[in-house]
Amino acid sequence: MATEHPLVLPGDTIDPSLIPTHKKQPLRLGPGLRHVPPSTILPTVAGQLVTDLRKNSMWVEYNGGRYIPSQGDLVIGQVARSATDLYFVTITPYTANASLPHLSFEGASKKTRPQLLPGALVYARVTLANRHMDPELECVSATTGKAEGLGPLAGGMAFDVSLGLARRLLMARSREEGGVEVLEQLGAEGLAFETAVGRNGRVWVGSDSPKTVVLVGRALTETDEKALGVEQQRKLVKKLIREMR
Amino acid sequence: MPREAEPSLNERQFILQALQENLRLDGREFDQYRPLELTFGDQYGVADVTLGKTRVLAKASAEVTVPYVDRPLDGIFNIATELSPMASPAFEVGRPTETEVLISRLLEKTVRRSGALDTESLCLVAGQKVWSVRVDVHVLSHDGNLIDAACFAVVSALRHFRKPDTSMESGILTVYTPAEREPVALSWLHSPFCVTWSYFGDEGEIALLDATWREEQVRAGSCTISLNRHGEICQIAKLGGTPVEAVTLLQCTNTALTKVQEFSAFLDRKLAEDIKRRDKGGLMAELSAENDR
Repeated sequence: MATEHPLVLPGDTIDPSLIPTHKKQPLRLGPGLRHVPPSTILPTVAGQLVTDLRKNSMWVEYNGGRYIPSQGDLVIGQVARSATDLYFVTITPYTANASLPHLSFEGASKKTRPQLLPGALVYARVTLANRHMDPELECVSATTGKAEGLGPLAGGMAFDVSLGLARRLLMARSREEGGVEVLEQLGAEGLAFETAVGRNGRVWVGSDSPKTVVLVGRALTETDEKALGVEQQRKLVKKLIREMR
Repeated sequence: MPREAEPSLNERQFILQALQENLRLDGREFDQYRPLELTFGDQYGVADVTLGKTRVLAKASAEVTVPYVDRPLDGIFNIATELSPMASPAFEVGRPTETEVLISRLLEKTVRRSGALDTESLCLVAGQKVWSVRVDVHVLSHDGNLIDAACFAVVSALRHFRKPDTSMESGILTVYTPAEREPVALSWLHSPFCVTWSYFGDEGEIALLDATWREEQVRAGSCTISLNRHGEICQIAKLGGTPVEAVTLLQCTNTALTKVQEFSAFLDRKLAEDIKRRDKGGLMAELSAENDR
């Protein structure tokens, strides 16, 4: 994360000069901020205050807490069991299951739907999430009818990372905005692997060689646990590659 | 009560496949422990053990009570294990899971039944007053291999513990506060440690030390060996699971001995460091009322 974002603590007063102003669009508050009428904005968590002038929005970037599904998130779920026309999928352990209809896979019909065993992993999008209902998932884009990368994940290994790292990995420009470069570095070292990042703090890594999967997993977890910067990530990758050889 | 989170099929398959290729997820060797750390509290008898992400806290305490009628000369020694929901949502207070029962049984067998603590030395007045020593084990974070971590914590806590000094004069028993007389260490006979092996594969041909929580969930069997640094085995527990070749088991025991010697040396070093830290003005030797054996 870039350093120009100021650190805020719960209940801090936010410097008015930091609040974006826009002529037409209303101000949008993201996670970690609370509007106290008439005109106070209070942070509710500790983290970095990020503002987006173009979208006229602001939010607090923080790492921690548990995953709460929200619409449009990409998650890695684990099939708990199958019912007549849907799968029950665990997004996070020890919470209520989400439902994934049998037919919301690419090209699925009653006869061609994928048969998933309990314990299988799926990469899915959250289509419905609100506080009092169980979330719903889909593995196909409703508009195009294509999978767009979603669907069952075969082989590979799922690693648990913090929610903050998962979010940073999913950023469009994860190196500049998120400060994670570890996957690019590993790719540049000539390793062939594929990943799927779930907002629920799970990263799936697939490759033909288990050695590569273990290495990518170690690089990710270590980056996460030690909160490494870009330069340290580079060193870590070099070290791991040397160990492997 | 929520069931423990199961690993997905992908994880299950991958862990086993990687083990066949001599790979562990965290890059360790098969017979390598995660970094072991031990911190003693400010009070005597508090040991906080971290083994990777597993963390166990043990606290020893002592009070004067009446002995059991059938053993008037023996003190009372108890180990209480509690797995709270703090460690995993699958644990519930007041309803022991299988893991919890197994841990407390193994600790009991390893530390209490092996006679590590001389209970006769806890007797104050025969048939009337004895010390009751109790160790509470709290699991703060669960990432596998609770048994080894808990056993190490219990032994460290007891070795670190000091009970109040007492004296007996003309039938009057006096228990001194730490301000009056320096507390005395327990009469400790030997330090047993647990080493748990996890077996994978159809015939248990792959043996791992210090399995993480994920590895524990996919293992085919396990065997806990308790021994002290002289190689005296206190117990071997192989509770079900896959059968293991006798030769493999023998090799495991040999490796366990080297690990236990490392643990023992580590604990001795930590205890010496702690004594040094407490001995501020170098007056400890003068304050102590304990006789050298």
